[in-house]
Amino acid sequence: MSESMDLLEIRNLSLSFGSVRALSDVSLHVKAGEITAIVGDNGAGKSTIVRCVAGVHRPDEGDIVFDGQVVNFVRPDQARVAGIETVHQNLALVEDLTVWQNLFLNREISHGVGPVRFLQKKEMRKRARDMVAKLAVNVPSVTSTVRRLSGGQRQAVAICRAAGFSSKLVIMDEPTAALGVQETRRVEELIERLRSEGHAVLLISHNFDQVMRLSDQVWVMRAGKCVAGRRARDTTAQEIVGLITGAIAA
Amino acid sequence: MTGAERRRSRWVGGMALACGLSLMLSACGGDSAAPSAGDGEAGGDAKIGVVIKGLDNPFFQHMEDGIEAAAEDSGVEYTIQAAASITDTSGQADKLSNLANQDYDCYVVNPISGTNLVQGIAQIAAKDKTIVNIDNPVEAEAAKAADATIATYIGTDNLAAGKMVADQLATLAPEGGDVATVGGVAGDVTSAQRIDGFKEGLSQDFTVVQEVAADWNRQEAQTQAETILRANPELAAFFVANDDMAMGVARAVAAADRKGETLVVSVDGIDGVASGDIDAAVAQYPFVVGKMGMQACEAAAAGHELPAKVDTPIELITPENAKEAQEAFPEPPSDYENPFADLLEG
Amino acid sequence: MTATESVGERVRVTLTRPTFWVEWASVVGLVLLVVLFTALDSTFLSAGNIRGMLLASAILTILVVGQAFVILTAGIDLSVASVMTFAAVMFGLAMTHGYGILLSCLVAFCAGAAVGLLNGVLVAKGRITDFIVTLGALSAASGTALILSDGKPITVISAPLFELSAGSVGVVPYTFMIALLIAVLAHVVLFKTKFGTHVLATGGSVEAAQATGIRTTRIKIAVYAISGSLAGIAAILLVARVGSAEPAANMTFLLNSVAAVVLGGVSLFGGKGSIKGPIFGALLLTALSNGLTLLGVSQFYQPLAVGVVVVGAAFLTRFDK
Ligand SMILES: Nc1ncnc2c1ncn2[C@@H]1O[C@H](COP(=O)(O)OP(=O)(O)O)[C@@H](O)[C@H]1O
Ligand SMILES: [Mg+2]
Repeated sequence: MSESMDLLEIRNLSLSFGSVRALSDVSLHVKAGEITAIVGDNGAGKSTIVRCVAGVHRPDEGDIVFDGQVVNFVRPDQARVAGIETVHQNLALVEDLTVWQNLFLNREISHGVGPVRFLQKKEMRKRARDMVAKLAVNVPSVTSTVRRLSGGQRQAVAICRAAGFSSKLVIMDEPTAALGVQETRRVEELIERLRSEGHAVLLISHNFDQVMRLSDQVWVMRAGKCVAGRRARDTTAQEIVGLITGAIAA
Repeated sequence: MTGAERRRSRWVGGMALACGLSLMLSACGGDSAAPSAGDGEAGGDAKIGVVIKGLDNPFFQHMEDGIEAAAEDSGVEYTIQAAASITDTSGQADKLSNLANQDYDCYVVNPISGTNLVQGIAQIAAKDKTIVNIDNPVEAEAAKAADATIATYIGTDNLAAGKMVADQLATLAPEGGDVATVGGVAGDVTSAQRIDGFKEGLSQDFTVVQEVAADWNRQEAQTQAETILRANPELAAFFVANDDMAMGVARAVAAADRKGETLVVSVDGIDGVASGDIDAAVAQYPFVVGKMGMQACEAAAAGHELPAKVDTPIELITPENAKEAQEAFPEPPSDYENPFADLLEG
Repeated sequence: MTATESVGERVRVTLTRPTFWVEWASVVGLVLLVVLFTALDSTFLSAGNIRGMLLASAILTILVVGQAFVILTAGIDLSVASVMTFAAVMFGLAMTHGYGILLSCLVAFCAGAAVGLLNGVLVAKGRITDFIVTLGALSAASGTALILSDGKPITVISAPLFELSAGSVGVVPYTFMIALLIAVLAHVVLFKTKFGTHVLATGGSVEAAQATGIRTTRIKIAVYAISGSLAGIAAILLVARVGSAEPAANMTFLLNSVAAVVLGGVSLFGGKGSIKGPIFGALLLTALSNGLTLLGVSQFYQPLAVGVVVVGAAFLTRFDK
């Protein structure tokens, strides 16, 4: 593969919440095996894009093409089945469940007949330990509840969940926004490891330095529109800032 | 006369509208009389407004039956309103106030508490209409505050009923022993009066070892009675404040294998005595209370002086007369005094 | 570190963890009550009284299981007592119309399930607050029961029903066995199945559950349907116990069902709790009422005692973070 294929292509996506036009005519694409970043001010529509791709919201207009096919996700689990994993900005962890329960949430290993599904707890705990070990994240124990974990540890669990299930695309919405220096570095390592293992990563971030260091492609959003796209090696942090604020016209 | 007729037709129209509305929710006939019935008969000129307690209890349902039966007999026009439940004091007050604004000649009221209807009563008193108080007495102080005179009070004496049960218990178990009482909701006046009457009438040979409240609820009474029987296995008798709870207590006694040894006596419970579950009961006749209330209004409309206070009959029910009492129900099996009927006939 | 040390250490850690006292409040409370009442009155722990308490707690236990499911999803079912009354009246009517015992039981179950389902649909799909929906159902079910029965108790005479309510194996009445069976099933469903995990997830965080594709609407409908169905089953036991279907709802059952769930350490915010805790909560409330009656404590003190115990337990949950 010299020039890798588009794994995800967003075509002319629009979505309004009542009178708020969160997305208008957004088009962008994500190549397989790359880290693609979306940057933009608060309220620019980044999380909304993520939630459309993840099957949480349904766009009013436009298409999402994933892996060569137009997809119409009605529920998040359909996106997961297709191979899109998302680490939401709010992490989407259930605090009173254990780490392993969260890792396998709505993907429980079970046996039984019809709708009666008995959990295979042992198997899930074992696999959870493997998943955590593989990503070398510092989670105390897969049997402790998420409530007892630190911010970084929670982020690690959420990333682990996204990376652990042979996903083609991992979306991360501001994964380091709430983290300290140490924890941020760990998460950045994780992101790079995901790329080296062949996952495409769509990274939402506020941190230009981070974006410039990690990503291959950068998309800039402003007020619900995607105003520019740049290869990371062809641009500078200053240009990105200019595009975000509108000081530089796209 | 034309004025009265106009008033009547307005009233009929109102009733028709109310019926139409209430038909959507429930049958209309139960809530009001057919106004056409027998105009011009005795008492037919009086229009009566009735406000009673909630119909969530058979006691008040019988009272309502008595009111309807009396109205059917005489063909008098009337409207009846019931509180939503036994605790709906303010809702009941609203209902009386509404009726007080309308044009009735006489009002029959059964207040939930001694004071909750005082505003409506004041309105009625100001228009100088007759007030007949049934079942639960309006407090004398409250009536005075409302500047109202209650024309007559018709009720059943709960104290006397309790006392009569105690007398019968002494006959059934002359050797005496321990007794327990099972009341309704803790703090309920009727329940307290029945139990007080019972305790007053109890001979020296008996000791009340326990008093419980079972919320007028059969299951609750059964559970409480079971517990009491374990604490006092030699219990001589239960006194129960109504028939429904008495059936639960009877079950507990049977389950503890104490039937015949631990007696169950109650206020009300003709059917229970007839079926052998209850050993003796004193029946009250809410049907008669309702009936007399209506007749009192008719008598007043006919210009008679009303007696200040009338006690409706109570009847001791034993296995011997239970069948007879069942057949006569809702009237008592034996003749009783009805001063209002006498007035209307005489 | 030797084995004994580690055990001792673990015990110490467990006992000083506040969540321990939340989870076990009902059990500890029950044990304390049993010790207290036994010291004051020796008949308290007699076989007969134990049997009596179990008998008296069976109906509440079944209602409590349903209430626990609903509260675990951060909802509340205020209609349990009225739905039970409604189902009891339906049962009574079916019996008097000669449906036979099995068919009548089915009628009661379906009546409860139907109201529960309706509650669930209104809460989950209609997006009306659980509090309002079940408050409405409370009133509507009570009213329907009164209309259908014309406000009069429906006597139900049936030999198998009597056997059900009177029979026992040792000190354990049949009805309590049914309640226990339901509780065990509920525990398995909650902690051993996919559905149970999704109930906990929905209660813990609706957004998180939805983000993983859990259909939280369905889960919510399901828990209300469970609560209604169990109220239907409880109705059968209620009729068996008193020999008639009573049209007036006993709201003590509603209050006690919520109280037992709170006593049992289930968080009112959902997502956290057990089945065994609420069951012990139900036993505790039954033992409390039984013990006070045995001791001859005045009727006026009983509601006060229940209030103190419930608020005391709620106080414990304050320390749970
Ligand atoms: N569920 C929602 N309902 C209504 N408005 C929303 C919702 N989600 C996002 N918005 C609005 O859409 C716009 C874009 O939000 P978002 O995508 O969260 O921005 P960000 O780029 O900071 O992630 C904002 O104006 C936000 O207020
Ligand atoms: Mg965002």
